[in-house]
Amino acid sequence: MTTALTGGLVWACADGDYDDSQYSNFSPEAFVDPQYSPFFYASSVSYYGNVNDDSNTRYNELVVKEWETHLKGKVSSKDLEVLLFKASDKGLDSVYKYSKGKLAVRPAGLPDVKSFQLSSKELDTFLSYLLLAKSCESFAVQKRTYYWDEKKPAPTGVPTELGERLLQEYQSTKDIFMKQRFWFQLVRYYYFQELAAAGPEQQGNGRLVSFFEQSRNLFPKNLMYYRALSYLAGHYYQQKDYATANYLYSLSYDFSADMKIPSKWSFHPQNESDWEKSLKLAKNNEEKITLWHMLGISNDPERAIDKIYALNPKSEKLDLLLSRLINGSEDPGDRYFTDTSSFAATERKRMDHNAELVGRIARNNNTAKPYFWNLGAGYLNTLSGHYALARTFYNKAKTQLPKNDKLLSAQYKILDWTLFLSQLKKIDAQTEKEMVGPINWLADLRDGKDTISNLRFNRAVAKSVETLSALYKKQGNLLKSNCFSSNTAFYTTNQNVEALKALLSKPGKTAFELAMLRYYPLKMEDLYYHQALMLVYKEKIDEAVPLMEKAGQKATFNLLGNPFTIHIYDCHDCDFAAPQKKKYTPLTFLKTMQSIKAEIAAGKNVFNNAYLLANAYYNITHYGNARLFYQNEITGTDATQPTDIPKEFRLTFTSGKLAEKYYLLARANASTKDQKARCTYMASKCERNEIYNSIYFSKANEKKYYWEEFSMIPSGKYFAELKRDYSQTQYYKEVLNECGYFRKYAGK
Amino acid sequence: MHSKIKALIFGLGCLLLCCALGCNRPRTSTAVAAFYYWKTTFHLDKGQDTLLKKVAGNRLYLRFFDVVWDEQSQQAVPNAIVGIKENMKSLKVCPVVYLTNKTFEHTPLAKTDSLAFKVNELVRKLAAANQISYENVQLDCDWSLGTKESYFSFLKAFKKYSGKKLEATIRLHQVKYFARTGVPPVDRGLLMFYNMGKILPDLKAPNSIYNAADAAKYLNYLKNYILPLDVALPVFSWSLQIRSGKVIQVYAQIDRKELSDHSRFVHTGTKNVYQAIRSFYMDGIYIKRGDYFKFEEISPLTLDNAAKQLSTHLAPLEKRNIIYYELSTIHLPEFQEKDFQEVSAHF
Repeated sequence: MTTALTGGLVWACADGDYDDSQYSNFSPEAFVDPQYSPFFYASSVSYYGNVNDDSNTRYNELVVKEWETHLKGKVSSKDLEVLLFKASDKGLDSVYKYSKGKLAVRPAGLPDVKSFQLSSKELDTFLSYLLLAKSCESFAVQKRTYYWDEKKPAPTGVPTELGERLLQEYQSTKDIFMKQRFWFQLVRYYYFQELAAAGPEQQGNGRLVSFFEQSRNLFPKNLMYYRALSYLAGHYYQQKDYATANYLYSLSYDFSADMKIPSKWSFHPQNESDWEKSLKLAKNNEEKITLWHMLGISNDPERAIDKIYALNPKSEKLDLLLSRLINGSEDPGDRYFTDTSSFAATERKRMDHNAELVGRIARNNNTAKPYFWNLGAGYLNTLSGHYALARTFYNKAKTQLPKNDKLLSAQYKILDWTLFLSQLKKIDAQTEKEMVGPINWLADLRDGKDTISNLRFNRAVAKSVETLSALYKKQGNLLKSNCFSSNTAFYTTNQNVEALKALLSKPGKTAFELAMLRYYPLKMEDLYYHQALMLVYKEKIDEAVPLMEKAGQKATFNLLGNPFTIHIYDCHDCDFAAPQKKKYTPLTFLKTMQSIKAEIAAGKNVFNNAYLLANAYYNITHYGNARLFYQNEITGTDATQPTDIPKEFRLTFTSGKLAEKYYLLARANASTKDQKARCTYMASKCERNEIYNSIYFSKANEKKYYWEEFSMIPSGKYFAELKRDYSQTQYYKEVLNECGYFRKYAGK
Repeated sequence: MHSKIKALIFGLGCLLLCCALGCNRPRTSTAVAAFYYWKTTFHLDKGQDTLLKKVAGNRLYLRFFDVVWDEQSQQAVPNAIVGIKENMKSLKVCPVVYLTNKTFEHTPLAKTDSLAFKVNELVRKLAAANQISYENVQLDCDWSLGTKESYFSFLKAFKKYSGKKLEATIRLHQVKYFARTGVPPVDRGLLMFYNMGKILPDLKAPNSIYNAADAAKYLNYLKNYILPLDVALPVFSWSLQIRSGKVIQVYAQIDRKELSDHSRFVHTGTKNVYQAIRSFYMDGIYIKRGDYFKFEEISPLTLDNAAKQLSTHLAPLEKRNIIYYELSTIHLPEFQEKDFQEVSAHF
């Protein structure tokens, strides 16, 4: 069944991005600490939400803050930002010279360092460090893209002299803040020095490990420490010691929110053997939990949940994994089941296994957020089709929900309603009464009349529309079914349209009817327009006019071209661009058709009038210049090919029979041979369109995207007549001139 | 046309001669074998080196770099430039540049000329830096109706700047629907005779790399193709990882050996389809219990069948290049020199 109206069922958004909230009923924000939000489930991007994924700027803000504190607020954060991250090495060099009085003029665009409330020693320490750190960027700050003009995209070397200076500074500096900075620079320097070495053997001889091990305990375990630790991890990764590398990455991951993205990105166990070794390196259960947690985000939430729960049921690292498990199970993806037996069975097993796992944990009732596990178990069981079981979990959750949490209580309502829909077998008056509240609430959310930050409700809206429409249909109530999900076939029966009009105009609608109609997208005017439209193609113009008059604004837009005009060659854009003394709206167009028809009936000017009427009927088909006349929300608005038109209306809007009929009537009443030639040619266009239709609508062509038949010249009886009877006319010459098909045909 | 007739006469002459000598082959093959190399770092192990020398007389189609569309800078940029660590002097190299279709979706006609200039410059520089002299360049792009115009205009400009003989890769559908998709303005076409099926999570779907039935749909159109066609044949296998009815990934490094580990996989009732019975890491890949692996294999026998099927449908051509894809991923003990010689002899 073709559905021209899609209501709430569109799951992808218009701009091409895939919005995961579209198919979801479960908001991770309601349950999981926001520091984990980049790792909330996202089907098509690496990180959820807006995340700074630029490794070169990730820590800038924190680094500025650290310096601000260290310099006791004597340098503003704005000046620090410029000096630390924006100034070039040349610029910094000038600043340094200026501070020493070796340069008279302050470098343009850079802060006046002389005005800082720092002692000359403090200023010197700060600027000297900056200069040295800046030189290290040449090897440490990576550019990612190749460009055309670069001679060789090889990594820049690591200058030996720089290492010596760093080591000197490190050894001579006493201040712990500064010393740790030189230490970090050195660790990073050694890392890149190893990387630039020729082969893995030489890399192993680097100084990184020994230097790190002998100095690691001199410093506080702060951001700088863990950043340095990550370079050590990188070293082990290069050495293919994945066990140690991944273990160290997990420590950095756990340190702070900022370190989570790069640490998780680098985490790559290779085989079960190195993975097990990483677990053995963990010094306690909490470290083991972090490792499992990272495996859970990267690959397998259910395996990780099982392990973490055994280690510590109250671990907050379970939360993210449960949310990922649930959101992943909801994702419809682009699943493709042909081999239904094996796929469906495997999938069911997986879903059941997950529902069972989460259910078991929920029942034990010993996690940090029991309501989360009960809601999760209820929802996973709903998705698996175990509705009665799901209900028991929801009932339990209801008693455990924290008070006054708007998002959580809305989340509960969404899940509760979805389960209600899943269990609904029959709708009676009592059910309708019960549904008024929820369906009004969902419509409020959809329309933005009620907003609850982060709440996901689109799946519930779609499920409501789909379930209620299907149930009403099953119960034989096509009218209500169509209100929830407007369906093309419904409009092919005038009785249905009348019933809908009666409902829309009914005074004193019930609360349920009012709520239901919030899901129906069309207005009375649309229905009148549709009724008029159908009558036009049945040649009942007189009956169509009064209905079209009731279509109000729907019938008063301007058609793009003159619908009474016709040419040898169909060119819609030319017709739209041509000067038009009179613009027609659907209503004035119909009225003009009406008066033309009346004149024909009265025998007045029959040739001309029949010809105009034929043009009008031609133009309101797919091949004519007035497609807008029939394209609307009911009949479909985006057809560019006849096969895009909903099949209920395909023949109506593509058939050339009516036009052909009036071209023949015009020909029968023509007074000159030239006029007859013209009518014959126009009839041939109708005939040609019928040939096209038969190609478009042929069963055999359904699955092809390239139809060879179109390379043949469509010819029929009217081409033959034109050639046989009218070859001496002026119009014949025009056709020869303009119509390539006919030229080829006639030349044969 | 002229050359076709000549080839035909040559073929007939040979046929008579061969029959007189009691030989089965209708004519002696003049086909010339070569290998593709597609990795980012060019390095051959001993086996590959020998194969290249013995089977292909050191003829190598080497991917120099890709051209991709960079969203951030809104321009076409080179990517994955090949790093060459070997002495190339003894090799006969044809540079290959792979250009994404997206590049041409974003490159207007007016900018194709400067893109061609830049691509040619980079090819030239890379070749010079590695002492590669070349007469031909191969351009590889799966162009579409929407990008035809700008890709073809790029090719014309590239010809102008390089002054070399150009070859463009041709997919099977581009042969069948050449009236719509157009024929690229180059000296030769390289017919890619693989990846003809869709990669589907359908366990029973035929081999997507090569299967005779899918191939047959295109073969009748080959004779009439306007360009002289060289041929690329597959010498690779891969496994599809399928989960929840979706293809998660395609892995060249997983083959029957890994999948035959009974502690990890069971063979399902379907040919070449295995299912994981545990969850585990394997060479950096995470495999979940229940995952299906569909092994799509090109064996020497399949390759020979593919060549037989294809060769009878091609218009005759002297010294047709037969390029095997690709050197760094060939399963060496399985493919022997003689396998390639027999396959090339079909053309």
